[in-house]
Amino acid sequence: MNRKYAFFPGCVLDGAAHEARMATEAVAGRIGVELVEIPGWSCCGASQTQDVDPEAALAANARNLALAEKMGLDVLTACSTCALMLRTARQTLMNGRMADVNEALATADLEYKGTAEVSHILWLLADTIQDWAPMVKTPLSKLQVASFYGCHTVRPPKVMGYENHLAPHSMEAIITACGAKPVLIPDRLKCCGFHAVFPAEQTAHRLTASAADNARKNGADCLLTPCPLCHMQLDMYQPDAREDTGKGGETPVLHLTQLVGLALGIEHEKLGLSKHIVSTDALLAKC
Amino acid sequence: MRTITFDIDRFDGSRSWTQSYSFEHDPAHTVLSCLIAIKEKQDPTLNFTASCRSAICGSCAVRVNGNAVLACDTKLDSVLKQWGSDRLQISPLGNFTVLSDLVVDWSPKIERLRTARTGLKARKEFTAETGCQQTPAEFARIQKQWDCILCGCCASECNKLTDDRRDFLEPFVYTHANRYAQDSRSAEPMLHVREMLGRGLWKCLHCMECVTKCPKQIAPAADISAMRALAYANGVTDGKGPRHAAAFRTDLENTGRLNEVRLVPRTEGLIDAATGRMSFTFRMLKSGKLSTREATKLYFVDNSPIEGLDGLRKIIRYRRAK
Repeated sequence: MNRKYAFFPGCVLDGAAHEARMATEAVAGRIGVELVEIPGWSCCGASQTQDVDPEAALAANARNLALAEKMGLDVLTACSTCALMLRTARQTLMNGRMADVNEALATADLEYKGTAEVSHILWLLADTIQDWAPMVKTPLSKLQVASFYGCHTVRPPKVMGYENHLAPHSMEAIITACGAKPVLIPDRLKCCGFHAVFPAEQTAHRLTASAADNARKNGADCLLTPCPLCHMQLDMYQPDAREDTGKGGETPVLHLTQLVGLALGIEHEKLGLSKHIVSTDALLAKC
Repeated sequence: MRTITFDIDRFDGSRSWTQSYSFEHDPAHTVLSCLIAIKEKQDPTLNFTASCRSAICGSCAVRVNGNAVLACDTKLDSVLKQWGSDRLQISPLGNFTVLSDLVVDWSPKIERLRTARTGLKARKEFTAETGCQQTPAEFARIQKQWDCILCGCCASECNKLTDDRRDFLEPFVYTHANRYAQDSRSAEPMLHVREMLGRGLWKCLHCMECVTKCPKQIAPAADISAMRALAYANGVTDGKGPRHAAAFRTDLENTGRLNEVRLVPRTEGLIDAATGRMSFTFRMLKSGKLSTREATKLYFVDNSPIEGLDGLRKIIRYRRAK
């Protein structure tokens, strides 16, 4: 495979979900996808900034898109909320706001014409299974994996729109290509609660506990998510969720690229598998 | 003959069961016309509500395989294709109390809608003689919200409502509140916002189910966001929700990137964060997700500024000034 993207890591891949960045870069390097980080990219607003300053959120993402377009590349991100924020901004610009936002971009000698599009690492991996599946060195045949898509990976479909939002299958196709067995759980398309973990903490904890509990009850060795924010909620807050709800047992949570990396035979250290709150040791013993 | 089967959730006031009805496929069918045909030809006891059959009255919303649709506005073939099956589960709307079969109770929902203080309190300069005129641009800001037909689809799969409806309202209630809050003719936009602030305005999970399910392409999540921004602009800045969102904006302008270490104290206050998040912080350090050195730098110094930060600030300020 020979593809090149303007990489938008998003803040969490440089912070608490650094292991997702490690895994994304390791997998991309292995399958022949060149990721060129967008110089000077800014926070996408994380589905928060627009609640206090909608114009700042739009302006920042228009700038991110303009920076990528200047590189002559489409944007690739490994975060579903970043993807939603960037794609929403692009849609807003394409539907009548291009001229006035470009006036603002001009103050920093930038312009967005609408050529740079935004994709997600999940979609890239699903679209190129035929290219990377033959590179699988370690089929994960002993693993049962419960997918957790994350709201912003599929909703709203008018903005995200990669696949059937009610019955997506990209994650299951990737799990299968890795040699593992997909496990369907009722929480597969539910919210993890991350974006309201402070104002609606109890709700967030119940959602997290439900996903972790259902994965375990359905025989899954782990939850798998293509969104680092879902990962943060399901992994980092899992002990709090367990304590609050009384739902016992630990469920490891993998980033999508960590699973693919394992199947491709990439060393565990390069995938950051030790940087999880819920230990991945039992899971790795099966790989 | 191609046979379609509806497995319909039934309820007679005390007993619940699922009843299957099979019928011949007809590409002209909508979900509603199937239900009507079942009632007319197979089972007159099946209860559902419907009236206009034109996506105007909003009374025929049901769930197909767990997802709300307006039955009259949903072609049978579209859902068969979507689900890849000729067998569909038909259920009453979620997050509603079921009265009978597919009929749900709107009475408590209307009471909750009243909390939005729907109704325009016009500005003083408007009179009976001169009217309450507004420009096309002003009307455009609320036009979409006026399309709401109160079908309830937005509430059916709302993840927050499903978890706990005691501290959150049906998404359409927020849309109706915002319709008046954003109306240029309103004498008191914050009247509606204040009511919503006390009823879960900052508790939306951003699950986007409401935006996805609305058959009129209204975005209740955007209405929630717009009212939050209006409240913030009017000085309602206290609380975990506004402080959390404001922290992202602050970081955007300070360095261009989120400062994760300052985020929690900014949201919860230093004392609450220090006491309530101790075990969380400890596990972050223990797992290697965060190093002590990095945490210290982020808390006391901040992220390094992004390349072109001045440009980002100029762009944001230009937009704001506009």
